Amino acid sequence: MSSSTAMHRELQRELETKATDLSKLQKDIAKNHQVRKKYTIQLGENELVLKELDLLNEDANVYKLIGPVLVKQDLAEANANVRKRIDYMSAELKRLDATLQDLEEKQNSKKEAILKLQQRIQSLQAGKAKA
Amino acid sequence: MEKPAKGTVTSLSSLFPVEEVQEASKRVQDTISEHQKELDQVQNFVADNASLISLVQKLPEELHHDIMVPFGKAAFFPGRLIHTNEFLVLLGESYYAERTSKQTADLLKRRGKALESQVKSIKAVMQDLKAQASYFDATGAEVAEGLVEITEEYTEETSAEEVSKADPTNASEADNINALTEEEEFAKLMSKIDELEKEELAEESDEEDELEKEELAEESDEEDEGYSHMLSKLDELEKKELATESVSGSDEDYSSQHSFDQRHGHQLPNPTKQSKDEYPIIKELPSIQHAFPQELPKQFEGSNLQSVSEGKSPSDRSSALAKSTSAEKASVLPEVEENIEAEPQSQYKAFTGSIVEHTHNLETNPREQTIASSKSSTPQPSKPVSRFKMQRR
Repeated sequence: MSSSTAMHRELQRELETKATDLSKLQKDIAKNHQVRKKYTIQLGENELVLKELDLLNEDANVYKLIGPVLVKQDLAEANANVRKRIDYMSAELKRLDATLQDLEEKQNSKKEAILKLQQRIQSLQAGKAKA
Repeated sequence: MEKPAKGTVTSLSSLFPVEEVQEASKRVQDTISEHQKELDQVQNFVADNASLISLVQKLPEELHHDIMVPFGKAAFFPGRLIHTNEFLVLLGESYYAERTSKQTADLLKRRGKALESQVKSIKAVMQDLKAQASYFDATGAEVAEGLVEITEEYTEETSAEEVSKADPTNASEADNINALTEEEEFAKLMSKIDELEKEELAEESDEEDELEKEELAEESDEEDEGYSHMLSKLDELEKKELATESVSGSDEDYSSQHSFDQRHGHQLPNPTKQSKDEYPIIKELPSIQHAFPQELPKQFEGSNLQSVSEGKSPSDRSSALAKSTSAEKASVLPEVEENIEAEPQSQYKAFTGSIVEHTHNLETNPREQTIASSKSSTPQPSKPVSRFKMQRR
């Protein structure tokens, strides 16, 4: 009798730790989603900029706002910068997707583990009720 | 008669609990309102963009503009706008470019197009969501009403039953109609039905060729010929009767055909066709008995009995489908047998019962009629009931 109660307590503790892990994972996933959303928006904006820069004449004046001042920039330089940013962001998006998938897999396995634990606890309780 | 043949009844509330449906519908409504906000914002952008375009196009019309220049949060001072054809345009990502008015307007128009595509996509999403919401609402309302879902096995016999049910009323209504026009209409209807049936036969034979083995396919070929032959013969028979009979006879005949024709478009026609082929014969018997108590019946009973014997054979046929047709084709009017066999080949399991029922009635009916010349109404109610029994079995 005492052993079963001890086992029950242990299972309960395990369940709690698993649940906290799961909630942590879910938080991570949510954060990841937000970051991803931000990056996709920025990527869209950068692509628009690139399109406009491509449409500009060679001798057009391009400025970049750095803090409170507008700094004149070479068109080719600006173009290269924007391209670099786009590359970086697409790479980042890919990375985020990979981590997101990883996290989701982890989440699913955690969920399954929790379900199993719950079932074990239930069966234990049922056995107790019978005894 | 009221009880369903076979079926299950499940209440919708067991499938979709009320709270869950409400929750789901609420969630969908929330997302809809979110999207609505987004849509409003984007549409504001579109409006701003349009006004900005018009402003940018208007500015270079003058050399300079007198304006109030904002100074800090609360102050303005008078100023003058010069260089009216030079714009410093934010491209995004803190990049600016110097553009002329025309170039700026073009740039803004491109932005406007992007915004419009956004509006379109948001609207599409919202439409989807609205469809979902309406589905949830409808389901919720149905659940709240305590609606039940009834699933019933589809049996072809119901259509035959409906035909028989519809007949008596139609016949009484049709009594007033002129005999001449009825004959014309009947002829038209028959030709239409013949066409339809031939189409079906062609389809069936195609299916059979694919599904059945070679011998069956051969049979169906023969049956096709025999069937069309039989149809024309049946037509002749019925027309002959029509020509000689008084109004009452043709009335019932016509109406049965008519009701069949209505059903023809809606349901799988095979069994209905059978019941139709046999039904007029059943109907004619009593009507003739009424119209010509003593003088004419012999002639018609001859034809009717003949057709009854046609109808009788299917019971043998359907019970022993494996038999070869060739030997029995020589028997009295074999076309009906073939007709009946041609159809069961594709799906005979569904309605062999009905065939047996019909022939059973056919066997009993004429005897009652000829011996006792009993009322026409008595055999009729027995039909649906007995058929119903067959269904319930």
